[in-house]
Amino acid sequence: MEITTSDLGLAARVQHLTKTYGSGDGAVNALTDVSVGIRRGQFTAIMGPSGSGKSTLMHIMAGLDAPTQGRAWIGDTDITGLGDLELTILRRRRVGFIFQAFNLVPTLDALGNILLPFELDGRRPSAIEKARIDGLVERLGLASRLNHRPHELSGGQQQRVAIARALATAPDLVFADEPTGNLDSRSGREVLQLLATASREHGQSIAMVTHDAIAASHADRVLFLGDGRIVADHPRQSAEEIASYMLAAEVAA
Amino acid sequence: MSAVATPGVVSAVVPESTATGPRLGWLRDRGMGASVLVAALSSAFGVVLVEATAYIGAMLKSDPYIGDSGTLAAVVAILSVLLIGVALYVAAIVTANTFSTIVAGRTRRIALMRLIGATARSQRAEVAGHGFVVGALGAVIGVLVGVLVAATGVYVAERVLGAVDAFTLFQPAIVIPAAGVVLTTWLAAWIGSRRVLSVTPLQAIGGSVERSHEDAAARPSRHVGALLLLILGAALLVFGVLTGLVTPLGVVISFFGGLLSFTGISLAAVLVMPPLLRLVGRAFGRSATARLAAENALRYPERSSRMAIGVVMGVTLVTMFAVALESVKALLTKAAGGELDSEFAVIMDSFAAVMMVLVGISAVIAAVGLVNLLTIGVVQRRRELGLLRAVGLSNGQVRRMILLEALHITVTATVTGLVLGVVYGWIAAQSLLGSVRMPPFFEETAGLVAPAIPWLPVVIIVVATGVLTLVAAAAPTRLATRVAPVEALAVD
Repeated sequence: MEITTSDLGLAARVQHLTKTYGSGDGAVNALTDVSVGIRRGQFTAIMGPSGSGKSTLMHIMAGLDAPTQGRAWIGDTDITGLGDLELTILRRRRVGFIFQAFNLVPTLDALGNILLPFELDGRRPSAIEKARIDGLVERLGLASRLNHRPHELSGGQQQRVAIARALATAPDLVFADEPTGNLDSRSGREVLQLLATASREHGQSIAMVTHDAIAASHADRVLFLGDGRIVADHPRQSAEEIASYMLAAEVAA
Repeated sequence: MSAVATPGVVSAVVPESTATGPRLGWLRDRGMGASVLVAALSSAFGVVLVEATAYIGAMLKSDPYIGDSGTLAAVVAILSVLLIGVALYVAAIVTANTFSTIVAGRTRRIALMRLIGATARSQRAEVAGHGFVVGALGAVIGVLVGVLVAATGVYVAERVLGAVDAFTLFQPAIVIPAAGVVLTTWLAAWIGSRRVLSVTPLQAIGGSVERSHEDAAARPSRHVGALLLLILGAALLVFGVLTGLVTPLGVVISFFGGLLSFTGISLAAVLVMPPLLRLVGRAFGRSATARLAAENALRYPERSSRMAIGVVMGVTLVTMFAVALESVKALLTKAAGGELDSEFAVIMDSFAAVMMVLVGISAVIAAVGLVNLLTIGVVQRRRELGLLRAVGLSNGQVRRMILLEALHITVTATVTGLVLGVVYGWIAAQSLLGSVRMPPFFEETAGLVAPAIPWLPVVIIVVATGVLTLVAAAAPTRLATRVAPVEALAVD
């Protein structure tokens, strides 16, 4: 019997993943034979310079994009062969997303945005889920903001609403794409601490794409990508260590 | 070309419009093609009407029985002017709306130009200049098509009715609707580009969250004015009906009542339409797609209201003629004691049909605008659609959402138009013929009758609404479902 993702203690993994854009002479390899797993209950940072393939890796892992070669799993589900509808439902139920900006639907208020994954599923949150959402709203300090529309919220508040939405379904995995890229440093630190707490205290698996050494220093594990390959895999590091590694890699290149 | 709008200014301050890409490259921008179509439609319509008026005039003149009495020709001419006026008015609303939507989508580019040093005025002049070119292009196409249609019509008429000597297709008056189209399109683009002035250079940087609801420009004076027109118009309508019970002159009072009240409704569209849209939105249920669609339809209340009011006008006019003529028949039947001359009924029916087709053109123009605006609206929401797809909106749900969004506006506009049309049509007939006495007895006046609603036009309108909804949803749906979530998210 094939060993499964959960046997390995992973929330998601990819194997021999290759992604090529274009064809013939103009072909560009965004990812070349990448095999990596995101450990369950951990906060993982995926780092690398622009064009290193980190966003492509995240998109494929999250079922937003299809690989050219290789396979990807979320939990024990092989998502490589899934159709668009199955992938959509999988994202809805088992993946959470936090983007750099434009995270919220502008026509819905904060609560509407948080409940969106349930509503798209055509159901109301169960009692357990309700309790979890209430807890999240409380922890994220959103109680007084639930009926505000996105444009009435600060950048940090918007990002916290996005976190609440991403965590509300207790997904297998939360993907965060430069979640602090648009925030001032204080709001950014708050967001990172909230993500770290969700992972540490609630066992939430989180994968965060970033090029910010300070952001990555909040993670339990830091993966480095370069030219479409995994070039390093470090346990928790300080921002200085990460920065000096990046600097060294940059100089070597 | 923009130099035509404001000589010197544009080309001096904004060299990029000529420096980057072909001079008329902007014509390929989404929305411009449809604006040209709107201008062409109204100009072709105007040309055909001018030709038809001239033809009928010539025909009447050559008729030995009617002879030189110009009255009938004058009536036809006045009718043509009114019909062209209505078409131009609807076209202007559609164009102004389209341009303000296009400007909303160009905010970042305009902000960038402002950042580099362009003045707000030059930016606005550029947009207005585009309007001038669009109007001119549409007018030329419209004249060509209109003359072609008129030539075909004359050819057919001569085959059926015999030649009319005094008539020639070369009617200098066709320049009037064409010039009218150019001017109204230009003016509409100018009005629609008002937003350019409020774009700040800073919007080129950042600005990640869109303000979800336009600050519905609170101009209380305009709303008070609209309300006054409405009240005054309604009072005149009631007075007209009552007067109509005594004398046919009641219809003159009603005519002005209708004019005032309908102008009031159009001006107050931003006040009147959103609550109606909300009401229709409730009918679609509470599912996520229905709620998203309902919010989308009201995202820009002004835009949706104006989108809807064009269709409301068209449907109202068509319904009005249908109901008026049917009610006239009912009144005459009642006055005549139950029988109506069948030949007369046929004449009434054909007149109604011709009028409905003629005012129907305005509805078509409004429909083109609606399809266009919905498409632009969806295109401008690409990122939001990407987000929704990422979070779990399936392609099927995208389709349903857009269809509901279109349905929202078409249903609201059609129902409103039908109701208004029935009311106006009934009032017109009632105030004209409430006092009529008919053979053989000439004793009883017709008095009050219930509005008579001919079902065929209503069915046609409802079917047309259905088709319009599907057409309006088709293009944006194709655009929206073709987009992979990643692609949409990557769009800046």
